[in-house]
Amino acid sequence: MAGTGKAHLRDSPDVLLRIEDLVVEFPVGRTGLKVNAVSGISLDVLRGETLGLVGESGCGKSTTGRAIMQLPRPTSGSVRFEGKELTEMSGDTMREARTRMQMIFQDPISSLNPRRKVRQIVMEPLTIWKRGTSAERDAKVDEILERVGIDPVRASESQPHQFSGGQCQRISIARSLVLEPSLIICDEPVSALDVSVQAQVLNLLEDLKAQYGLTLIFIAHDLAVVKNISDRVAVMYLGKICEVAPSDLLYQEPAHHYTKVLLDSIPVPDPEVAAQRTAIEGEPPSPVLPPPGCRFNTRCPAADDICRTVEPQLVDLGHGHYVACHHPLVTPVSLSGQSSTAAVITEPAT
Amino acid sequence: MSTAVAPPPAATPESPPATEPAPFKPKRKRPSTGLILACTFLFVLVFLAVFADYLGFIRYPDEKVLVDGKAGRYKLGPGWEAWFGTDGLSHDVFASCIYGARVTLQIGLFATAFGIIVGGFLGVLAGYFRKTTDRVVSIITDCLLAMPALLLAMILVSRLDDVRNDVTWLDWFSRKWQLVFTLGLLAVAPLARIVRAQTMSLREREFVLAARSLGAKPGRVILREIMPNLIPAILTVAFTGLSIIIAAEGALAFLGLGVEIGTPTWGKLINDNRNQIDVAWWATFFPCLMLFLTVVSFNVIGDRLSRRFDIRQAGV
Amino acid sequence: MSTRIQASTRDLEGPLLELTDVSTHFRTPRGLVRAVDGVSFTLERGKALGIVGESGSGKTILSRSIMGLLPPRGTVRGGSIKFEGREIGNLDRKAMRGVWGKEMAMIFQDPMTSLNPVMKIGKQIAEPLQIHLGMNKQLAWATAERLLQDVRIPEAKRRLDQYPHEMSGGMRQRVMIAIALACGPTALFADEPTTALDVTVQAQILDLLGEQRRDRNMSLILVTHDLGVVAGHTDEIAVMYGGKLVEKASTKGLFANMKMPYTEALLQSIPKLDDPSHTRLNAIAGRPPDLVNPPKGCRFAPRCPYASDKCINEEPPLVPTAEDPNHLYACWYPVGSTEYHEAKRRLAEPTDGLATATAAL
Repeated sequence: MAGTGKAHLRDSPDVLLRIEDLVVEFPVGRTGLKVNAVSGISLDVLRGETLGLVGESGCGKSTTGRAIMQLPRPTSGSVRFEGKELTEMSGDTMREARTRMQMIFQDPISSLNPRRKVRQIVMEPLTIWKRGTSAERDAKVDEILERVGIDPVRASESQPHQFSGGQCQRISIARSLVLEPSLIICDEPVSALDVSVQAQVLNLLEDLKAQYGLTLIFIAHDLAVVKNISDRVAVMYLGKICEVAPSDLLYQEPAHHYTKVLLDSIPVPDPEVAAQRTAIEGEPPSPVLPPPGCRFNTRCPAADDICRTVEPQLVDLGHGHYVACHHPLVTPVSLSGQSSTAAVITEPAT
Repeated sequence: MSTAVAPPPAATPESPPATEPAPFKPKRKRPSTGLILACTFLFVLVFLAVFADYLGFIRYPDEKVLVDGKAGRYKLGPGWEAWFGTDGLSHDVFASCIYGARVTLQIGLFATAFGIIVGGFLGVLAGYFRKTTDRVVSIITDCLLAMPALLLAMILVSRLDDVRNDVTWLDWFSRKWQLVFTLGLLAVAPLARIVRAQTMSLREREFVLAARSLGAKPGRVILREIMPNLIPAILTVAFTGLSIIIAAEGALAFLGLGVEIGTPTWGKLINDNRNQIDVAWWATFFPCLMLFLTVVSFNVIGDRLSRRFDIRQAGV
Repeated sequence: MSTRIQASTRDLEGPLLELTDVSTHFRTPRGLVRAVDGVSFTLERGKALGIVGESGSGKTILSRSIMGLLPPRGTVRGGSIKFEGREIGNLDRKAMRGVWGKEMAMIFQDPMTSLNPVMKIGKQIAEPLQIHLGMNKQLAWATAERLLQDVRIPEAKRRLDQYPHEMSGGMRQRVMIAIALACGPTALFADEPTTALDVTVQAQILDLLGEQRRDRNMSLILVTHDLGVVAGHTDEIAVMYGGKLVEKASTKGLFANMKMPYTEALLQSIPKLDDPSHTRLNAIAGRPPDLVNPPKGCRFAPRCPYASDKCINEEPPLVPTAEDPNHLYACWYPVGSTEYHEAKRRLAEPTDGLATATAAL
């Protein structure tokens, strides 16, 4: 399968989450066709790490996040979280397991029930799981609301629409924290916010991560934001992984042509630099009928016949940098055993 | 960030633009004249209907109005003696209208409640669980919608009487309750459809996903997250539906399928007196007017509610 | 005929757009919202202006005020807006209809909702051509096809027969641009045209706008919250805060020599690719001011780390810098002044001032 491979998975006792060959497909009405939202990706996250997932809309990054939560369950593949296989869990054990991981959504206002008081919303997880006495719950909610910068008194009398977008996102974060999860999946948490508020929320996430020892999966389309918050970044395109690398390395030496395109598309707040950039042509093809071979071949400047027929595998470029490309921008340095095929592939196929 | 009520310094003399007009009347807070009239009308009507027995100026519906010591057909036109005139049995039309309101409004309210409970329940289940549940509910609603409403109502009302006669424990199931059941049944399908559509869109909202990701069971998600958000839509439909049901009750009574003889309803009043409309227009006109005003009032309120909630939905 | 007469009264020499003390206030139950409060600037023909600010800064309201697109009820407008020397600030909707499309056009943030979902793309472009320019149907459709080619839509002819839902967000935004360009406007207003789009598509759309502007010698007013977007695609930038214009300069001048601490803070809050990961961002503490009761002095003072008593009590005027008379700013202690440096040093002493301010939030 294309852009697949597990070369980048790590054998560490610290692995908190490990996804293998995750596939998510949705039927298109009653046409018999299906949307290939996620087509066999593998990822792992170490305890205390922040994994960034980047890509354009429709690349399957949000679907991946939800499939990890088993909402809805993936079509196939394995999701191991804290040593337990989630895909095989029954309804009730799954509900229990979900308390260990939480989600924050893009639209801060839509993710809060408009007809309930903010305090109730944050309290809800504790009520569902009947944690502690009511005094303990109150104390916990107060503590967390204060921690995220929301006045607990105001929270008990106000509904979400009385707060600004940034504050609603803080409330969402508070709700995700009350059960003290180990993993938080942030699905575009700052995309709907103003830059100034975005910085506040990103800083808050960093602080909370340190304070509560959290592991984050940070899903976003903005590479600059992802780079800022992540330790390791996976770039996705049309349901496949293109490249995985430590975030600084990804930016310094993008190996996949798509990563380069993404980096070049980011508007830079500097008129001198901005003037030199050129945009890439075209838009991602439909995930209903993804192109064969490398899925990026329709827009890739370096695409040739092999790209249109053979799916590239993830190969090791050293320093934790992996790329799935027949003609990577960085030549693989460490050519050990298995990845020697990469060397063959990188030679122009004439 | 509090919004201090103290006069803002910036709003003092220096800055107002030349075109600054008179103080602003908040647009949304002020109810329209129509709404005030509608609410007043319904309030007065309900008040009179409830306390009719204790109010001296309302005669009993079976009390004959005597003119010079004699009763007579359509003796009195609208006037001081009998506000809405008298009918063919010398009954006071005004009193009949008020007592008729009792029955009519009761039928309307109970039928709507029946529709909301059954339709809402089916709709929520179908919208939330989809798949087989949805298909079953769809079949039920489609069947209900496929039959001509009035015909169904006629058949039901005429059949239910037989059922009541056959089954002893169904003694309480008088014509009134038969009408409630029938008209409520007609309200089930549209309500189920609306609730189902709303539930489906709410189900996809992120706060529902958030609740599920917190480990909430379906029952809790429906009760805590979805239901409160359904209330505006249901309320809006309920008010419009109420007016339709009241009108339908009138139509059924007009066709002779009203409540038991002796109990006035508006539809029956109209039906009983319509033949004499050229002799005594009032006996038909006033019940019609009551029916009309009630239906319009409920519609106005329903319309207003829907607009109000629409604004809130847009803001949310 | 009437367009001819109008054309002759056009002032083709002076600036395209001249705003003097423009204010737009809304009457609400809470009080008067001063969404735009005394904004003045001029825009030359063929130039691209970026209006930048956070949400609630008045940038969108300002652009809509110029276009005359605000609801007449509850809106109080003041000041003068001159377009090609003609006063348009007091025109009613009917009179503005002659201006829209032919002289000013607008594209919006959401290409999904701005197109009619049940009308074919071709008809949506051709219809205004038939109505405004009096083209016959055939010519209008041919023009529509050419417009789609202009906005780089592949297979333009086939696309004319499609409905909006058959197209991607980027394609729809291109269609919106084609519609806006149809009647050959002198000025194009783009309100967050790329916010709903992916980065790669955003870059394409911005390039397209720049290219069309140069080809058609059109002015472009780009309204956005993203300084990165305006940096590469405008000649001038106007920064708005709390309904006021707080800084205006040429794009190069602004980035080279920022005066207003707000502009600086806005720039610093953007994560930079050049910084290593986990670099602490300089967030702006607090929230934009309440426009019903705006702060008495500088509107940014409550959030400004360098604010002094003077900033809180007295409103700074918009003044030019010493080096460049076209670089305007409204600040008592601009970036680079001695007071600014002193305040910065004071903040740096105990802890990182901005960081603590954020944490305290």
